[in-house]
Amino acid sequence: MSPAVSKINSQLSAFTFIAKLWQNEAVSSNGLPLTANSISIFGRFQILKSFRNDNLTQYLNIERGKHERTIVISEYYGSSLNETSNKNIQYENILKIFYQCMTGLSFIHNNDIVHHNLEPSNVLIDEWHNVKLFNYGFYYMTRGDEDCEEYVTFPIGSNIRYIAPERILGNNGNPKSDVWSLGMIIAELVFGISLWTNLKFPIIARKILSYCTTTGSVLEKIARDHNCLEVYNNLNSDFKDLLESCLAVESKNRPTCHEILNSSIFIHHQESIAFKVHKKGIRELAPMERLEISQIYYLWQLTGGDVHSELKKEGLIRSEAPILTVPRLVLLQSSKSMPNYKSQSSLFDQRVVILNTKNLSDRLALIPKRAFYPLLHCPRLPYNFGAEMRNLPLVIRERNIEYQFYRVVLFSRLLKGYPYTRDLIIEEAKKDIPPFLRGKIWAALLNVIPTGRYEKVDKVTPNQTDRQIEVDIPRCHQYDELLSSPTGHYKLKRLLKAWVTSHPQYVYWQGLDSLTAPFLVTNFNDEETAFLSLYNFIPKYLHNFFLKDNSIIIKEYLTKFSQLVTFHEPALSKHLNTISFIPELFAIPWVLTMFSHVFPLHKILHLWDRLLIGDSSYPLFIGVAILKQLKSTLREAGFNECILLFSDLPDIIMDTCVIAADEMYEKTPKSICHRKHVWRTEELEIFDITNIELSDIQKEISPRISANNLIYLLKEKPNQVVVFDLRPQNDYKRWHIRGSINLPYTNLMLSDRRLESINVERNTLQDKVVVVISVSHDNASLFADFLVDCEISMVSILHNSINTLHSILPSNLFGT
Amino acid sequence: MFFEENSVIEDKAKKDFDQLDAELIDKFRKNEINVDEIVKNLEKIYKDEILECSDKNCPSDDQIFAQCYHQLVHSSSLQEILVKEQDYAPKISSLVLKMEKELSSLNEMHQEVMDTKINLLDVETTPDDINDLLKQQYSSSNLMRKQFESELEAKRGHQKNEYREWVTSRMSQKFLDSPTTAIGNKSSMFPNIHKTADRREESFTIHLGSQLKSTHNIRILSADIIDLCSPLVNENSESMINGNIQLGIYSSSLCGVVCLVPSASAFQVMANQKIIRNASLSTEFHFSQIDEQLDQIQHDLKSSGETRLKPGDFFITKHSNLSQCHLIFHLVCDDSTNEMNSRHPCIMGLRSILKVANRYDCTQLTIPALLKNEMSEEMTLSWCMRRAELVLKCTKGFMIESSSTGSELSTLQLLLPADISEELFTSISQMIPSIFRVANTKFL
Repeated sequence: MSPAVSKINSQLSAFTFIAKLWQNEAVSSNGLPLTANSISIFGRFQILKSFRNDNLTQYLNIERGKHERTIVISEYYGSSLNETSNKNIQYENILKIFYQCMTGLSFIHNNDIVHHNLEPSNVLIDEWHNVKLFNYGFYYMTRGDEDCEEYVTFPIGSNIRYIAPERILGNNGNPKSDVWSLGMIIAELVFGISLWTNLKFPIIARKILSYCTTTGSVLEKIARDHNCLEVYNNLNSDFKDLLESCLAVESKNRPTCHEILNSSIFIHHQESIAFKVHKKGIRELAPMERLEISQIYYLWQLTGGDVHSELKKEGLIRSEAPILTVPRLVLLQSSKSMPNYKSQSSLFDQRVVILNTKNLSDRLALIPKRAFYPLLHCPRLPYNFGAEMRNLPLVIRERNIEYQFYRVVLFSRLLKGYPYTRDLIIEEAKKDIPPFLRGKIWAALLNVIPTGRYEKVDKVTPNQTDRQIEVDIPRCHQYDELLSSPTGHYKLKRLLKAWVTSHPQYVYWQGLDSLTAPFLVTNFNDEETAFLSLYNFIPKYLHNFFLKDNSIIIKEYLTKFSQLVTFHEPALSKHLNTISFIPELFAIPWVLTMFSHVFPLHKILHLWDRLLIGDSSYPLFIGVAILKQLKSTLREAGFNECILLFSDLPDIIMDTCVIAADEMYEKTPKSICHRKHVWRTEELEIFDITNIELSDIQKEISPRISANNLIYLLKEKPNQVVVFDLRPQNDYKRWHIRGSINLPYTNLMLSDRRLESINVERNTLQDKVVVVISVSHDNASLFADFLVDCEISMVSILHNSINTLHSILPSNLFGT
Repeated sequence: MFFEENSVIEDKAKKDFDQLDAELIDKFRKNEINVDEIVKNLEKIYKDEILECSDKNCPSDDQIFAQCYHQLVHSSSLQEILVKEQDYAPKISSLVLKMEKELSSLNEMHQEVMDTKINLLDVETTPDDINDLLKQQYSSSNLMRKQFESELEAKRGHQKNEYREWVTSRMSQKFLDSPTTAIGNKSSMFPNIHKTADRREESFTIHLGSQLKSTHNIRILSADIIDLCSPLVNENSESMINGNIQLGIYSSSLCGVVCLVPSASAFQVMANQKIIRNASLSTEFHFSQIDEQLDQIQHDLKSSGETRLKPGDFFITKHSNLSQCHLIFHLVCDDSTNEMNSRHPCIMGLRSILKVANRYDCTQLTIPALLKNEMSEEMTLSWCMRRAELVLKCTKGFMIESSSTGSELSTLQLLLPADISEELFTSISQMIPSIFRVANTKFL
């Protein structure tokens, strides 16, 4: 059997328009600049991407260009009704078209969206007369919620022939206006005609209006106009009644989509008129057909697909030299500018361009067939496609079509099995997270399981935090198109209010907005997942930070941060201490927003990709990594320079930062990061760090290590640990840890702050965890300080004195 | 999941569309709706906004020429074009100089005659005689000016036609001969500043925005605004024009200069005389001559319904024959108020200029940082610092504001009067890093 090569019905397409430009406007009511209309459209468009219905083409993306240029990318299917011959479509098939259009319409009406753009060019059919409606969200995306504020200057529904009389008179928004338009389209099919081909615009408009003032059937009048009375008279009476009711002059007499779908005509033929395509066997499918259209679009972009240039090639984006249209005179008060050129290139051009996917299909053809359907639990067959690319830099992996293909296919599979595949998801996420599925993967990492209960959380009732929320939202990552759109503002507000109402024990702290933003942008159409991600994120990383009095928690966190800086960067820490540049001065917004307030979103996403895999201590290491990256500047800077430097964080290279954080995170024993105020899932036991107060650790420059961790190191990684035992020689002789170095405290002359003074070679301490043990904790502390002064890294003090150790030390670790 | 359910459903008023439609149709049936107007408006909006319904216009001559020229100037023909323009310029400038010279000697002569007459007043001559003489002198000098001007106009017209024809023919020839080289849409952005001895300048790279930062350049310099609008082909220098202005005319990176003008009398617009002269020294091949442009603007003003230009209003002239700008924003600035705040009309005018600049891809803009053309007695050091701070801070705000709409200013030039003191220049340029965020070094 040879694979059949048939035409692929679904294709990528794009169209473009220019949003309304603000004239020399004032500022908006809250004193902030007015939102560009293309941004408002951008926000409203998003929900359309989530629509899935057999009778609707799928919206894929929206892009903005210069000067309010807006481009919408959508699925295109088969060919449009006005390209196919109207004549001789069989009754059965007309019924099919009618029914499927109605199904599509009914779907959008149920979602509170009206089409208002229904005309034959937007009805797409395939060879079996299956229908998909195209660009059904145009009216919705270009109109605001309040008073149907218009974001574009041109009317929607560019073919007057199909516009319902009430719309011509100026009433918009009634779903039943769409029923009229569809009625007109079906009438054309039934009569095998094109409406009023030779009439001019005003005549057509008047004709439609004239139906309102005369009585009698509109359908009959149309038939008369086009010499089809005979066909009209011979129509199946049920069908005729239905079609005539669609063309009722008064909308109240028109049925709704729902009513039409339930009419007997359709019920009787249900089998034959439903959407059905010839299902191909898996072997017959072309590579592109094995993927979802949204995946195709994503991969198309990675193959260098550029919708701007495709539109330019087809002449849909034409640029005129700007100097030719500059006004001559601009008056301030009347905000008039003269002359007002309206160039031809800014008019709405309704042509649709099919995007060229040859590059993509060529690339996909090279991918082994098995990679389209990876088998996860079949050890015989590998599913780690693309493993050889794993060591390339992240930016390259993210732009590599093959690599992203493997990752997207793999994660799509894994997510289908979630939550049962959570462990595998974590393992794969450690390698990297494909941007295409980030929101869902994050949610999986955070153990989110949507239950529908978010729906029932109060996001509406006004309360005292509203004012602060209102102030913060229009200042939260406003360079981002999603977050600066009115839809984004609306959603962010709902999320914040929902979080506040579901946490009566906490308060809204500024910064919660920044913290929520990454979850909103990655789950823009799925508020519940965004909410639950935030809901689970906060206890994991910011337990109790949102208490009304969070000072103890913050103090503890920052003290631990200082200790970790000392642990990994002793020299830097020493310098910062000397100039009194303490973390309180710069690190609070880092912590409270998990860096989401200090970095632009694209960096936060990469940062959090790693953060979400680590535990509650991971953010501390990011903080250290940032300091590490700035080390050379910081070490030479004084207090003022440091303040200045951190008031506007310089360009941090996220990749390097994350790698450094990872490295330190791996090297650091868990108990080093011990904090009391952490949300624990497991109880601590006696040989972990317990009973330690903020006042204790505030005194200590170096962190403590637990007995458990020390024993683990001694057993598993003996080469990575050095133990200094400060007890007197006699005690040491009685028992000691094998390989530990005895430096009786009483013999030490710590006034000489050089390593040579204690006869220890620097390179024996390189890259090792240094543990100081003593009977007296204070002595241990003083010696640790000495080591830090000598710029030894990874210095720690054993928590509780050495005596605890004796009881649990395995016998083979005793030295003789 | 711990949170409690406490559902409050947001209620959105559902419109009763059927009812609204019924009322509307009813009104229509009762003839309460003007159908003619509705249909007319509808037709107009379809015609004005939807390409398919619009009257298809052919591109204008200017657009065709713009395209030709832009392609040609970005091909190997650049040099040829420059030589051509270089050759044309002296013919006009010499005539202008001749006119100025002859007019001034005529005026001198008139003055002499007049002086002698006045000395003999009440002896030999009557006031009427003097008036007659005045009239006569005026008309003769006017005649002379008119003659020169018509000659100039003819010459310029001739040059312009010849030049434009030449460009078009060059282009079609090129089209036949060989494919043109790749066309960049950006002109190279090295402004051709002729270094003069006393000129001071300093440059900064700045970032705007709190999390995502955009990068811009700021250059502060002290110079006479006329230097930025000097004739492209220098009358007494043999040096070649470097072509930056030509490369950029039809590009999407235009250069603009804000020039302060006083508010003139009713229905008048007044531009800087020296700039007008500079622009008249050679033929404007791409746009109307500057005086025609100004006439057109006066005409616009009349039809705007306003009687005179107020502070904050501005008019724009287009140029292809000045050294450093394609666009001049002539901002009406009221000198009477010495104290300004951020709501002052001149500042608002500046905001408006930045918006227009943004919208029409003017990516390099020069603004007078003190909103003064030259130094004067009352401009004390502290006054200047206050004024500069105001202008800088407001400009920063406007730049942030307009950066949200996409295209943005890449270079902002802050112009200080040429006669500013060294000390003041330094103090003001030191202000820049404190107001704008100067780029930190990048850490690798």
